[in-house]
Amino acid sequence: MTGASIPGAGYVAALASFDRMTATRLRALLRDRDPQEAYALAAGRVQPSDPIATLFAEYADLAQRWRTEARRHRPADAWRRCVEAGVDVVRPDDARFPAQLLGDPACPAVLFVRGDLDVLDARRVGIVGTRNATQQGRATAARFGAELAEAGVVVVSGLARGVDGAAHRGALSVDGSHPVGIVGNGLDQPYPRQHAELWARVAARGALVSEWPPGTPPDAFRFPLRNRILAALVEVLVVVESRERGGSLITAKEAGERSVDVMAVPGSVHSPASAGTNRLLSDGAAPATETADILVALGLDTRRAGRTRFDPRPAPRGTAAAIVESCRSQPLTLDAVVDSTGLSVADAAMAVARLERDGWLRSTGGWFEAIDEWADLA
Amino acid sequence: MFASISSAVLHGAVGHPIRVEVHVGKGLPGFTISGLPDESVRESRDRVRAAILSSALPYPDIRITVNLAPSDQRKTGSGLDLAIAVGILAASGVVDPAAAQAVAYVGELGLDGSLRAIPGVAPMVGSLGDEDVVVPVDSAVEAHVAARGTVRLLQRLDELVAVLNAEQPWPEHEPPAPPPEVTTSADLADVHGQHAARRSLEIAAAGGHHLLMVGPPGAGKTMLASRLPGLLPALDRERALEATMVHSAAGVRLPAGGLITRPPYRAPHHTTSAVALVGGGSGSIRPGEISLAHCGVLFMDEIAEFAPKVLDGLRQPLENRHITVSRSKINVVLPADFLLVAAMNPCPCGGGAPGACRCNAANLHRYLRRLSGPLLDRFDLRVDVHRPGVDDLLASTGGEATAVVAERVRLAREAAVGRQGCLNSRLDGSRLDRFAPLDTGGRAVLRDRLERGRLSARGYHRVRRVARTIADLDPRQPDVIPERAIHLALELRAPFDEALGRVA
Ligand SMILES: [Zn+2]
Repeated sequence: MTGASIPGAGYVAALASFDRMTATRLRALLRDRDPQEAYALAAGRVQPSDPIATLFAEYADLAQRWRTEARRHRPADAWRRCVEAGVDVVRPDDARFPAQLLGDPACPAVLFVRGDLDVLDARRVGIVGTRNATQQGRATAARFGAELAEAGVVVVSGLARGVDGAAHRGALSVDGSHPVGIVGNGLDQPYPRQHAELWARVAARGALVSEWPPGTPPDAFRFPLRNRILAALVEVLVVVESRERGGSLITAKEAGERSVDVMAVPGSVHSPASAGTNRLLSDGAAPATETADILVALGLDTRRAGRTRFDPRPAPRGTAAAIVESCRSQPLTLDAVVDSTGLSVADAAMAVARLERDGWLRSTGGWFEAIDEWADLA
Repeated sequence: MFASISSAVLHGAVGHPIRVEVHVGKGLPGFTISGLPDESVRESRDRVRAAILSSALPYPDIRITVNLAPSDQRKTGSGLDLAIAVGILAASGVVDPAAAQAVAYVGELGLDGSLRAIPGVAPMVGSLGDEDVVVPVDSAVEAHVAARGTVRLLQRLDELVAVLNAEQPWPEHEPPAPPPEVTTSADLADVHGQHAARRSLEIAAAGGHHLLMVGPPGAGKTMLASRLPGLLPALDRERALEATMVHSAAGVRLPAGGLITRPPYRAPHHTTSAVALVGGGSGSIRPGEISLAHCGVLFMDEIAEFAPKVLDGLRQPLENRHITVSRSKINVVLPADFLLVAAMNPCPCGGGAPGACRCNAANLHRYLRRLSGPLLDRFDLRVDVHRPGVDDLLASTGGEATAVVAERVRLAREAAVGRQGCLNSRLDGSRLDRFAPLDTGGRAVLRDRLERGRLSARGYHRVRRVARTIADLDPRQPDVIPERAIHLALELRAPFDEALGRVA
């Protein structure tokens, strides 16, 4: 492929792959220049003028570093990867570029997209949370995802393990929904790998968005940057579970700075997975205990009657019902079940085993969690 | 010119009587020992010579020949020193040969002529039948516990000359002070909450089921394990002697009465070497921790941190209840019938309530894989132990006291032995069908778990064994195992490593 036949997008994709490339630097390179010139400039093949000259002067080794990077990231290869992965290169001057990002102080210089960005024209809610979510947390995320999708809201999330994935599964369970996933690596390599199918379904039904071109690994530093895009795209951000210093809190902070409403799901004070969300609530976030709370925050009137799913499980009675109820507020150990019911260890073991068999409880590492009817999606 | 002296050597934890035949006669000066001595026995030539000379006794600078009989058996250790020295003194006429040959001798000599204690005096003295025996003062307790003849205590070689020549009576030495009594205040009554873990200790004690406790640091796993020996019945005379012999052979000081009557409790650290755990060593073969735990409890905290090679060494004893330690030319069988209690964290970070774990999947897998499937399979009981709740810690009363639980354990063990001649952990397939029938509810529960792939065939047998013990602990001791016992047995066999796709 000769230089002339590579579209500008190939040069942009190659530039976005450079080490130490930031949105600001990429915007500066591309301002008033076509991508081919910008690439030549970054690669040190033409004499830089301000502001790039100042940038190179400021960071002594940057010019050298980018000259090396230019040898590693060829526009032809970058373009081929985009084509092979079915990835569109969308720049701010493109009509498809999300309007919500245009006025943003940290607006990305380019987005790599699989699917249809137009779905963002609908009402948008972000659902985020910890990767190591509890069963309860994942079920809540799935329920919000499904019920918001049911109400025609676009669910935006990060496609990570735990809460993120559950929210998307919930949204995908509703026919005609258009979920959007914002990720922190190249769109050709689903991450985590177990989510490959989830990525494909989100791309097919809605859109998958990354600030980085195909081939970019999921480096830790990219996730906070991804979070700012997620925060800027939504109208309401719901944090389902977050640890004391979880990544979701960064998303919540980014949302707060953009006047996006932050809501959090209250959790037990004993649950480490709710330490961050409870902190958000005490810092003034609105509580989200059911989907209606979120819809009200969006200004959508939605007092829909009744649940949309039928629960086929045999209803527990008496002590069993009390055990399920206690496990709903926080996961319990067998010891705690013994303490709260007064049953013998053997009788408590029999009670929880029957509830497990009937699908009301799930045991992980000796903790019993209540399963609500959305768990099959979580 | 010739003397034949009675002594003994140690082979693992077993003593063997030896005749030390000494000939002192004409020829070039020299000192040879025949009869399969190993290096440690050959070294006794220098110690014996120095000890005789520094005791101001005449040393015959002519040809000394020592033969150790029976000649087909390897002899190790320094316990023959005293017998060889006495043989030389008798054969060269320094002491009365008849008097010298009337007593047996076990003990090492110092270069200064003092007598030194050696490991294994109890089994060695025990092997001498009703012979009277002379031992170092420091070996008094061990010799007394095993001797059927009279035990004579000596501090120095020169004391012996006057006694054997009938110039003085046997000296009266005070035996050394016994080691301070280990005060075991560890009572189950001090344990707050921990219902499931307490129950699993009781079941482990009653059925002889190996127990794995999985829980975060601070959950009290060590505290719980240390209470298990208190639930086990005292050792009968035969078992007490076995345990005592092993302790003696390992050079561990015996309690005041000599006999070990309570089940031992050993808790080797996870840095313990394979030799220290299963036995062996250069020189003579010493019993390891697993043999010291014979008839008692072996507690392995942080079991996943033990070296894989060390853990491998547990396979044979867990299967056969003894260990064969092999060295060049020597095979020693040591007893190792112990109740294994192990503890580990659920994951490298310690885990805790759902959502608390910060481990990534790769680290978690690596950690869980350290325990091999065959080893994990040995644990009939795998219980999740949690940090006790604040309410439990504040509760003024603990649970049942050790004495109360131990009585239930005793009755359950008697029921099992009366029914089938062994503890429930030793029931195998056909005898399980005969002695551990299930009610319809319990059968349905197990069938359901098997069909859903949540119980392996091996797990199926182990759950039934544990359920048998649970039923035996019930005061009614039902013949048919009820469903609730099955549920508890299943709950106490948590598939904590489901991340590896293993099932109960
Ligand atoms: Zn962990």
